[in-house]
Amino acid sequence: MQIETALLIGALFGCATYLILQNSFVRILFGFVVLTNAANLLVLSMSGNPAGRHAPIVGSVARPLVDPLPQALILTAIVIGFGVTAYLVLLLYRIFLDQRTTNAAELYEDQDTSEHT
Amino acid sequence: MNPTILPILLPLLTALLVLFWGKPGRPRRVLVAGSGIVQLALALWLVARSCTGESFVLTLGNWSAPFGIVLVIDPLAAIMLALSTFTALASILYGYAELSFRVEHPLRLPLTQFLLAGINLAFCTGDLFNLFVAFEIMLIASYALLTLEADDWDVKQAFPYLAVNLVGSTLFLCAAGLAYTLFGTLNFADIAMRASVMADDPRVLALGLLLLVVFGIKAGIFPLYYWLPNSYPTLPIPLAALYAGMLTKVGVYVLLRVFGTVLPHSLEPAHQLLAWLAGATMIFGVLGAISRNFIRGILAYHILSQIGFMVLAIGLFTPLSFAACIFYVIHHIIVKSSLFLIGGVGLCLNRTDNLDRMGNLWRHAPWLGVVFLCQALSLAGLPPLSGFWGKYAIVVVGLEKGAYVLVAASLVASILTLFSMLKIWNSAFWNSPDEREVCLWDLRWVKLCRVAAGMTVVSLGIGLGAEGVFRVAQEAAVRALDQEGYARVVFSRIGKGGATPP
Repeated sequence: MQIETALLIGALFGCATYLILQNSFVRILFGFVVLTNAANLLVLSMSGNPAGRHAPIVGSVARPLVDPLPQALILTAIVIGFGVTAYLVLLLYRIFLDQRTTNAAELYEDQDTSEHT
Repeated sequence: MNPTILPILLPLLTALLVLFWGKPGRPRRVLVAGSGIVQLALALWLVARSCTGESFVLTLGNWSAPFGIVLVIDPLAAIMLALSTFTALASILYGYAELSFRVEHPLRLPLTQFLLAGINLAFCTGDLFNLFVAFEIMLIASYALLTLEADDWDVKQAFPYLAVNLVGSTLFLCAAGLAYTLFGTLNFADIAMRASVMADDPRVLALGLLLLVVFGIKAGIFPLYYWLPNSYPTLPIPLAALYAGMLTKVGVYVLLRVFGTVLPHSLEPAHQLLAWLAGATMIFGVLGAISRNFIRGILAYHILSQIGFMVLAIGLFTPLSFAACIFYVIHHIIVKSSLFLIGGVGLCLNRTDNLDRMGNLWRHAPWLGVVFLCQALSLAGLPPLSGFWGKYAIVVVGLEKGAYVLVAASLVASILTLFSMLKIWNSAFWNSPDEREVCLWDLRWVKLCRVAAGMTVVSLGIGLGAEGVFRVAQEAAVRALDQEGYARVVFSRIGKGGATPP
């Protein structure tokens, strides 16, 4: 399973990078969603192979147990990722309302940042 | 009660209290200012106590070090806490003087306190994943503040800030996961102990480089700084001062912590890369500053070029260069924040901070000019102001290590800094065409000027008492580089799951 997971993570990161580099807001948004999921999957796969590992509990039957700590980390990361994604949706919607465009290239095409008051 | 939790708890409680208080008003403002003063006093007490050799450790939930999360305050963390609370207090007071509570946005004060809680947690934490959480608290509060009072132009500039930092956070999460697999722990002290025996493992170097990218994004190192220079000028002045002072310096602090305390000291390629990127950051930052024509934009680019100096000191990687870096951080946070505040006073008087439409300030407000000159020359590094001593120490270490190109780059950057400070001076202060109005009737500027002058006095004190400050910085650097001492302090706290004391 290790190699398949690694390939899947690589594919997800590739897709995410491709989508984020697009011009359309919707694609950028989906890119970030895929990116956070790819990172979560990477952390999940860090639990490793459960074979030969047991829970450190006295008197328990020695069954293989997957390392639970990365899962705890992911739970935190999912919550944070959800919050930030919600914020990103609102920010992009606000930009759409202001500028009447969903094209990032158009948005920053002719801005002069050297002077701003 | 263990005082280690207080730097995080106080801003958090203040934020919640103020959030539910609801309507902006005078009592609310007094509460936040009072809390700010208490936080500053606490942080200064922590600096004094930790410099005498004491370290503060809190094992959360009473779980011993590698199993539970720990909070650690050593001299370096205490110094950063003092700086963050001081800058936040100045920013809050400036905000009070700038806007009446009748027009204040009700969420600005609570969000500032949440931001401060995140920053302080990042300084205190002794755990890589907890550091990730601290970064997220800080970043989410900063996203919200960035767009809170924004118009359509400002919202547009917030998008790159959000996007780049989101990528950075994701990479940080990956780095935390990889560190866990590599070392089997996320605790700083435990990683330091386990990594020292696997220093030759190329995976450690790979992890170090990944962390370099993550914190480099946060600090604003050369190819990763695109999010900063256009987004900071869109903030209201007091918040811009807080952001300019603290946020990138959190990145610098974490670079110090990770490369000094956590990872093995033999990661030569990573240190070299840091030093060269720092050289590029200095030059590109200062060139960007020259291309800008409004005060906030110029100052925002100067943050980057100054970050270059600090990161160069980390990259040179000797105890003296670490001390120089810490001294530079102390100097830079205060000078940079106060320059933003002074720019804000100019904005209030001229009704613009576009250099083409400013002028006459020296004729009508000479004291503002004096305050500006002190800080601007300090930023450029003229003796005996505080910036000189930091740059001097970095240049000395650079010459000792034979990094002549980087030393030359830093000197060129200093001269160009002086040039762009003189550009502001000539246009805003010295230039005096009659049609440029100076709104002296707007009496807010006197109070605003007082806040900026207060910061300038502290900054002058650092320059004149440089020897004492440098000694504190040296103590902090030695303790930050002492991995075994750090681990001993952290593991000396025995709680649940730890070894029983003999």
